[in-house]
Amino acid sequence: VDILGSVMQGLGVALLPMNLLYCFIGVFIGTLVGVLPGIGPVTAMSLLLPVTLSGTPEAGIIMMAGIYYGSMYGGSTTSILVNIPGEATSVVTCLDGHQMALQGRAGPALGMAAMASFIAGTIAVVGLMLVAPALARFAVAFGPAEYFSLMVLGLVILTFLTQGSMLKSLLMACVGTVIGLIGLDSINAQARLTFGRMELYDGIGLIPVVMGLFGVAEVLSNIERPVMRSIVSQKIRNLLPTRADWKASAGPIGRGTVLGFFLGIIPGGGAVIASFASYALEKRVSKTPERFGKGAIEGVAGPEAANNSAAGGAFIPLLTLGIPPNVVMALLLGAFIIHGLQPGPLLMTQNPGLFWGVIASMYIGNAMLLVLNLPLIGIWVQLLRLPYNVLFPLILLFSIVGVYASGNNVFDVGVMMAFGVLGYLMRKVGYEAAPLVLAFVLGPMLENNLRKALILSQGQLTTFVERPISAACLALAAALLLAPVIPALRRRRERVAAAQQL
Amino acid sequence: LKNAELWGALGWLAFSVFVVFAGRHHGIGAVNDPGSGFLLFWLGLLMCGFSAALVAAALRGGGPTLASLWAGTRWGKVIVIIASLCAFAALLNTLGFLLASIPLLLVLLRGIDPVRWPVALPVGIGAPLAVWWLLKKLLLIQLPAGVLGFG
Repeated sequence: VDILGSVMQGLGVALLPMNLLYCFIGVFIGTLVGVLPGIGPVTAMSLLLPVTLSGTPEAGIIMMAGIYYGSMYGGSTTSILVNIPGEATSVVTCLDGHQMALQGRAGPALGMAAMASFIAGTIAVVGLMLVAPALARFAVAFGPAEYFSLMVLGLVILTFLTQGSMLKSLLMACVGTVIGLIGLDSINAQARLTFGRMELYDGIGLIPVVMGLFGVAEVLSNIERPVMRSIVSQKIRNLLPTRADWKASAGPIGRGTVLGFFLGIIPGGGAVIASFASYALEKRVSKTPERFGKGAIEGVAGPEAANNSAAGGAFIPLLTLGIPPNVVMALLLGAFIIHGLQPGPLLMTQNPGLFWGVIASMYIGNAMLLVLNLPLIGIWVQLLRLPYNVLFPLILLFSIVGVYASGNNVFDVGVMMAFGVLGYLMRKVGYEAAPLVLAFVLGPMLENNLRKALILSQGQLTTFVERPISAACLALAAALLLAPVIPALRRRRERVAAAQQL
Repeated sequence: LKNAELWGALGWLAFSVFVVFAGRHHGIGAVNDPGSGFLLFWLGLLMCGFSAALVAAALRGGGPTLASLWAGTRWGKVIVIIASLCAFAALLNTLGFLLASIPLLLVLLRGIDPVRWPVALPVGIGAPLAVWWLLKKLLLIQLPAGVLGFG
């Protein structure tokens, strides 16, 4: 009854005309950036972060959330029709989705991707609604030691799950933390690593870093090796899947939803991992695994359900603990902070309208996405015909404008370009940007909680292992760090990394 | 010595050593009263360890050469984009948003994978104008006006 009342309150907020408009803009832009390869939710959210200042906090955060889960829908369209994933979360959808399209079944593939996304997205919101309040009540008891250990665990999980060398990912997490510490020390206001530049006293902004590492670096990589696109040209019909399609997809959707939701909650996990895990699971439980990769609808339904469910689950650590589990959520944290709000266990009691309004808006946003992605599929297909040589200058222009508007100074544009070149070079030698960005966001919080925990315990390092939650997080982190040393586990991780690269 | 992995790892090792010294410079403090450089110092040491391990791995296992990373790629176009962006950043405050971004877009549209003039001109002029109108007039976000006072 308590939750029902809260949901009604949330619906009251989400159904306000202005919030409905922002929700629509969010899911529309989300679908747009999902469809367009080379521009993702991170870039779009960075660009629009300053725009959220012009509205209420509810409207801004509803829009940002809409971009994220909207992009999960749009990414599958490109995967199915062009065999190029619009988003990293839709990489695995290419395998069977594009094969279905080549066999003349683009309609059912697109339809099932949208339906699976809708079902999983909606169930994930219900899960979020049920889990978040309980976790928020539990998290009130967290002290600096628990927060520190939880952030360490999140970073270790992310480095463990990223492709390629774990050593490189760990190094990137450290580098990100160091960059996050640039500026005034939050405890004694001492300037660190500023080199006398006034622009650095407030630290390096998240938007220039993200736009550089993901936006500019992506453009440079795409220009270096142009990718030829071949769009499935036949007319798309029969979007509604048949009864046989539904029968084959029901199990994958259910399993993908549950798996995605829990992988989304884990700091460092997320929609990409969820989609791969779901595909692997479906292939394993299938009686005919040989059909996978040749147009099996289960290979579309499961991963699409998983990535949308993970997008919903990812809101839980942010809203209840104030810890972003991935880069997109780090940007959403930025949106909260811009509006003077601090997500965490007290958000639900101090700002119930915002908390439940954002959750309720996801129900509405999912329904909007179904309409945007089924009857209007033709518009998105037309958009795919936009050539990259016209698109990339616009991406760069929007990146520059977004970065400039966020801080009103050219220095940030320079920072973005520096990180763009760094990101491009990092890709060349196999260093991942995601651990760097997440650590960059968590760095100041990590340091603050570490120092507070040490001061409160009068320098007793055992405080981190005497508190059960902190001890459990650190033990798990240690186990993950040691896992690659065990040959069988190392081989397994390398196999997953290789599969992700394909 | 042409090993790209080795040079990458050595670069990070140098950065790690710098972080250690920066941590010391800012004050490590004590365990019961950590200073501003406490985390920097320990992170720097950790990074030294990771970078050293990467250097060792590169020396032991080899890796792609620097030249092979760019072999068969259109690296010249990448340099054109970076140079255009640098010029843009240098001239943005002087020229203003419109006068700096229109040439940038035209260079990118025509200089990388040339787009036909009938498309490049409307996109190159129309997009900055649309962005300028949206941000400056509709959302009231400041953009640099430049010495000529418009943009």
